Amino acid sequence: MTEFFVPKHIVPRITPDAAEFFAGTVREELRIQQCDTCGLHHHYPRMLCPHCGAETLHWVTASGRGVVHSYTVIRQNGVPPFNEQLPMIVALVDLEEPGARMLANLARIEPEAVEVDLEVTAVFRPASDEYSFVDFRPAVSA
Amino acid sequence: MGRRVCVVGVGLSDGPKTPDMTPMMLQAQSFRRALDDAGLQKNDIQGVATAGYAPMHEAQTCEYLGIHPSWLESTSVGGSSSEFHVLAAYRAIEAGDVDTVALIYGNTQLSTSGRSLGTGMAMGLSGPSAYEMPTGMTLVGAYAIAAKRHMHQYGTTSEQLASIAVQTREHAGRNPHAMYRDPITIDDVLSSRLIADPLHKLDCCVVSDGGCCVILTTEDRARDLERKKLVYVRGAAGASDHHSVQAMPDLTTTAGAVSGPKAFAEAGIKPSDVDMFAMYDSFTYTVLVNLEDLGFCAKGEGGPFAASGALRLGGALPTNTDGGGLSATHPGMRGLYLQCEAVRQLRGEAGVSQVEGAEIAVAHGSGGWLSTYGTVVFGTEPAR
Ligand SMILES: [Zn+2]
Repeated sequence: MTEFFVPKHIVPRITPDAAEFFAGTVREELRIQQCDTCGLHHHYPRMLCPHCGAETLHWVTASGRGVVHSYTVIRQNGVPPFNEQLPMIVALVDLEEPGARMLANLARIEPEAVEVDLEVTAVFRPASDEYSFVDFRPAVSA
Repeated sequence: MGRRVCVVGVGLSDGPKTPDMTPMMLQAQSFRRALDDAGLQKNDIQGVATAGYAPMHEAQTCEYLGIHPSWLESTSVGGSSSEFHVLAAYRAIEAGDVDTVALIYGNTQLSTSGRSLGTGMAMGLSGPSAYEMPTGMTLVGAYAIAAKRHMHQYGTTSEQLASIAVQTREHAGRNPHAMYRDPITIDDVLSSRLIADPLHKLDCCVVSDGGCCVILTTEDRARDLERKKLVYVRGAAGASDHHSVQAMPDLTTTAGAVSGPKAFAEAGIKPSDVDMFAMYDSFTYTVLVNLEDLGFCAKGEGGPFAASGALRLGGALPTNTDGGGLSATHPGMRGLYLQCEAVRQLRGEAGVSQVEGAEIAVAHGSGGWLSTYGTVVFGTEPAR
């Protein structure tokens, strides 16, 4: 499976609550929020902790390490540019930092080799000057 | 004690393919048929509940129908919208705010969008979906990723999922209005192409056109009309626990595990009291996980329970006896069709699909990506 290329027109709109996350991706840092009150992390960025509701959030740089909680292989998608990139592996990755889960593409692995609990590491794929997509690859290359 | 609430009219539009109809026409046709079924005229309708896609859809709908309601409800949470609408209407009628409410839905999903199986539209770049859509995730993919986790956690198999499609198709074979009626086998499902692993084409609902209307009123008014066997709303509840896939608290348990027991408690029933189940079968997995969440079997046992043939006529829990969304009709939000079929069964009007002696039927709507759930318990007797 080759690396995905995604054109600029599907890059997310950068909102003020998430500016730090997007800026981090350009530096190849996975920036997520942690709550001072309950200690848990979350992604995507928000004003309040989704776990306990507190406003006491600060930014941390995640290690990028995580495990596949579940995954699917998208084999039909009529929307350009995805229709020309199939199959695409989409996984829910539980980050090492408790509380944070991300939906992302898996790269550098064949669909048949993916399994639940696979250990993965974040990799960054530039999309524009303002944002890089966060993909994950196997932590140990086969 | 509040007033008792009954279903007094149901109506289905033409379908499953209506290239010469607009969604508004389908709504109007089903509305007229429900009025005729109830023996009511349009000006008897004081309240309207509807979810659609246009700005101020509810006001547009009322204008098109020529009615001037004093009660409106338009919660729009995908496939469970209509169950949330019953919940609101039931409470409002019970409390005396309004006497007679029409729930209406119509859409030309097939004629407008074609048969893209939830893979033809972008999931949106605003809101939380903005973090997911760039991965190429699809609607089918969202259900698939949950199904995959269920398989991992409980040993659920593709064959067990497929058995749900097979049994639903058996029901569709008895419904002349169903989109697909020819019998299928588990091998047919497994050899249909993968759309998003582990879901095959035949694990996915059909795309159709269609409209549907249900009219609720007070028990007293329903008795005065002297039309059909009374069907009572015994209980209703809703629940929601995420929008985007990454925010699902648990891929193997839905908010139906909240709305179901709550509605059952109000209705004064146990899962074993349910004679017929109208379940929003967007995908085979949606049915499987909700068999567990509503307590028809234990968590993790949805696969073996479904594969035992429980969903058939004569099975432990006849489910989607009209052929469901998997084979009969799916115009985008199917929640109202669930109620129509439940009422048809409780009235004893289901003909060759009749569940003999059905007294309790449950309509369980599922919206979004296993996101929002609404449960309604109907019965031939009141709960209290
Ligand atoms: Zn917190």
